[in-house]
Amino acid sequence: MSGGGRCPDCGSAELVEDSHYSQNQLVCSDCGCVVTEGVLTTTFSDEGNLREVTYSRSTGENEQVSRSQQRGLRRVRDLCRVLQLPPTFEDTAVAYYQQAHQLAGIRTARLQKKEVLAGCCVLITCRQRNWPLTMGTICTLLYADLDVFSGTYMQIVKLLGLDVPSLCLVDLVKTYCSSFKLFEASPSVPAKYVEDKEKMLSRTLQLVELADETWLVTGRHPLPVITAATFLAWQSLRPSDRLTCSLARFCKLANVDLPYPASSRLQELLAVLLRMAEQLPWLQVLKLDKRSVVKHIGDLLQHRHMLVRKAFRDGTAEMDGQGQGQGLGDGDVGSSSLELPAGKRPASPALLLPPCMLKPPKRVCPIPPVSTVTGDEDISDSEIEQYLRTPQEIRDFQKAQAARQAAQSVPNPT
Amino acid sequence: MDQNDSLSLFDQYLASPQGAMSPGTPVFSPMMHYGTGLTPQPVQSTDSLSTLEEEQQQATVATGQLSKTSQQATQEASDQTPQLFDSQPLTTAPMLGTTPLYPSPMTPMTPVTPMTPAMPASEIAELVPQLHNIVCTVNLGCKLDLKSIALLARNAEYNPKRFAAVIMRIREPRTTALLFSSGKMVCTGGKSEEQARLASRKYARIIQKLGFPAKFLDFKIQNMVGSCDVKFPIRLEALVLSHQQFASYEPELFPGLVYRMIKPRLVLLIFVSGKVVLTGAKVRSEIYEAFNNIYSILKGFRRTS
Repeated sequence: MSGGGRCPDCGSAELVEDSHYSQNQLVCSDCGCVVTEGVLTTTFSDEGNLREVTYSRSTGENEQVSRSQQRGLRRVRDLCRVLQLPPTFEDTAVAYYQQAHQLAGIRTARLQKKEVLAGCCVLITCRQRNWPLTMGTICTLLYADLDVFSGTYMQIVKLLGLDVPSLCLVDLVKTYCSSFKLFEASPSVPAKYVEDKEKMLSRTLQLVELADETWLVTGRHPLPVITAATFLAWQSLRPSDRLTCSLARFCKLANVDLPYPASSRLQELLAVLLRMAEQLPWLQVLKLDKRSVVKHIGDLLQHRHMLVRKAFRDGTAEMDGQGQGQGLGDGDVGSSSLELPAGKRPASPALLLPPCMLKPPKRVCPIPPVSTVTGDEDISDSEIEQYLRTPQEIRDFQKAQAARQAAQSVPNPT
Repeated sequence: MDQNDSLSLFDQYLASPQGAMSPGTPVFSPMMHYGTGLTPQPVQSTDSLSTLEEEQQQATVATGQLSKTSQQATQEASDQTPQLFDSQPLTTAPMLGTTPLYPSPMTPMTPVTPMTPAMPASEIAELVPQLHNIVCTVNLGCKLDLKSIALLARNAEYNPKRFAAVIMRIREPRTTALLFSSGKMVCTGGKSEEQARLASRKYARIIQKLGFPAKFLDFKIQNMVGSCDVKFPIRLEALVLSHQQFASYEPELFPGLVYRMIKPRLVLLIFVSGKVVLTGAKVRSEIYEAFNNIYSILKGFRRTS
């Protein structure tokens, strides 16, 4: 309703301001006569001040979409903006969300699930475009449990029949490493801890590649391995000053959460590096341990391909060699434990297997005895009677139940 | 007598060079008595099909590992020996390189109950999936009063607020059953089809003794779970790349790869250590067939480490 002014046609005072697409108009609500209208074309300086009106907001499309879907779509757009994703990602994620909402199982799901669904759509979009986004990040943003998230994620991938590629490790390393706050000095980060980003990134990539080759990455969550690799790379670039810093302190300095498995990944990676060090002639004499090997990581990485080949014999060939008698290990055939020899000669190669195959089994699974059950045997009465209560037991049980009921019905004297 | 024939054949067997056989301990004796417990070493041949047929005629449950434990198996089963003795000559039949010495098909004394069809192929001599769990359902054919069952039976558990069924357990075979008021029953925990059937019959008998007119209708096995170890590590990332339409691998969620096989329709969990869990089968042969299929796929990923 604009103040003052009358319609030139019918003389009514009911003038309404209506923005028809991008044009402002003053219209009479009685006869529909357009009294005045805004300028359709704008000058360059004017355009600088204008904000574009999205199609959905101008056409009333939102009236057809349910409240919860609107909320979900807004959530998807917000997530994309928070994560600073490229603009095309938002459209794809929104399309997935709308597609998912068509499915009956999703439309009738709880609000919690719909919330999580927004995250799932964003995650799927990122995965398909090789944008390294972990589920942990999305769950933190959504304040959701990983269990709920995983259930919805697996369901939506199956229902929509989507092909979701795996997380790209190299991209994840680059993104994750860049988030460490160690590249410039600050009150919390002393100068000796500051490191050059490119050097650290390249060394971390090499370490992660080494971990992947030696079976430390398959089947495990990728992030703790990268944390451990980043830590080792950082330490090895200036070992004299940084050996005293622990993994936990490192993560605190860098302002990054320390994932729980990172310390055991660190130990595994150090064990691999030690094995490799045993093959380098100038390191054999030094009798390295897990702390001192860090100083030589640069050397080890430089020759890593050759060292891995020499330090480890093919675990899969070993498994195969039973009938064929491949004498790969000199005197070490059949031994599968990582024993460090005390002697001066280079260690005989260890098996290149995932750690779960190298550890002794926690409990020996007994081979079940051969059962000669046919399924049609006679069932003796005595065997069945052992499962039936005697009359005395029944009476006792009923008495006990009655007593419990009585005790429960008496209100507590508090 | 047929017995004598087999005895003489056996003597021949002893006389032959022991090339293809690898007996651990010399348990051969010219005088094979019934029930002496002395059984010859089963031939460690690669043709596991016939070896298994022979030794399993009594035991209808497949043993776990083939040649390694078949020795144990025959020794245990030898207590029922008369029939087993007859099978002994048969173990020599598949011996490679010595077949011309024996007239071919030596028929067993007693008809050998055929093993379940589709036994694992001979290329995987020692790898036989082991069954770990069978889920089956039975209709007892009468309405059940769950409260009175919980009262009269020692091994019953009933909490109507939590779940609308009685949970009953027996010790032999170690199984658990869910009994519903409609008279239907679900039995889980059996390690073989026969055990599952026996256990279900025991539960039905218990219900009968409690005074209900229970019958044993529509016994059906709904699900079988088995596992096996291929004994070499597997590059799960490579497997999911090449079998995208069947495999799903999310290391952030679960360490194993979930492989949904189409034929037979089973779900397999494959781990980096080479252990494989197979589930969703309705019959034993599906598990064996699925394992054969996955083994040939996994062998392709063996040397790429």
